[in-house]
Amino acid sequence: MSGNSLQPGGRGNPVNGLLNVLVTLICWGYFIFAFLFFFAFFYLASYLFAADREKSFQYLNFRFFRGFLWLLRSLAPRHSWNIDPQIANIRGSIIVCNHLSYLDPLLFLSLLPRNKTIVKTKFFKAPVFGWLVDISGYLPSTTEGIYAGKMIQQVEKMSVFFKSGGNLFVFPEGTRNPDAGIGALHKGVFKIARMAKCPIHVLGLSGTDVLFTPGKFFFNTRLRNKIYLKIIETIPSDTKQGTMTVSILEEKVRCAFQKQKLLYEGRLV
Amino acid sequence: MTRDELEKNIVTILVDEFEFENPGLSDNLRDDHGFDSIDAIELLAKIEEMLGFQLTRKEKEQAMTIRTINDILDYIESMQDAHQS
Repeated sequence: MSGNSLQPGGRGNPVNGLLNVLVTLICWGYFIFAFLFFFAFFYLASYLFAADREKSFQYLNFRFFRGFLWLLRSLAPRHSWNIDPQIANIRGSIIVCNHLSYLDPLLFLSLLPRNKTIVKTKFFKAPVFGWLVDISGYLPSTTEGIYAGKMIQQVEKMSVFFKSGGNLFVFPEGTRNPDAGIGALHKGVFKIARMAKCPIHVLGLSGTDVLFTPGKFFFNTRLRNKIYLKIIETIPSDTKQGTMTVSILEEKVRCAFQKQKLLYEGRLV
Repeated sequence: MTRDELEKNIVTILVDEFEFENPGLSDNLRDDHGFDSIDAIELLAKIEEMLGFQLTRKEKEQAMTIRTINDILDYIESMQDAHQS
């Protein structure tokens, strides 16, 4: 992986290992204690008093994960973060990105105050977390049982959500894929783009899998690494020639991902 | 609308809007044509336009179990009947 320099000594050193454990525990401690002793009160107040509960929860999610990312970045300063500043200005769009690590959705939640995403249906059943994703207006990934109604409700509201400046971020490969190839893309997001006639921003992400490697529990805080998040391309779904088909949108996004992979591998300038 | 008219309209929508190729009335929509729940929601909006009335949330939820074009036609007929009575 060009762009990531893995210095020797990052692995196998007991002091580094201890620091990794410590940083991981502090960060996951934030998840529990910052929520319980700080954010829970705001979520409760929003639930009871907010005029737009969904919007309010999305903003609280943004603040909560912003805090988490700030903490992680502070405790792992060897990882440099290069986030395209234009991403903060994206409004009323679908954002698609390659998926490398469990950190990726948290990063997106920390970048934009009005965000929705598609969440595995099993998470809607989880205590507390399921309640949060439900009230935040996130979409279930399947329509089994009671989730059919939720899916219909959310999809029907998407056009209004985009018009009010909200974004939907999705990892169309569906699962983490740190390998060189591009996995099969789920078409659901392109169908929503066609339906809502909103643009698709294709983003390229690299390096989060070095900080939080799939299959590992602890962060790799001691490695020197560069994390990039860039806008690769913006694809309008609605043009003067009419609305693009799902196949064309999928092909354009695939090409953009391919371009990002080539850039990442240093084959393009 | 007769069943033949409904069939013609639905097949036209599926071909023109959902990129179906040579749809058969008994094809499995998901397996043979990649038709998923988001497509179903979009199709329901088109069915509402075609029928000239709004479907309730409960009626829409019923449509999520549809598997074939024949199922779609049965569903539309049952909605027509329910809204006429």
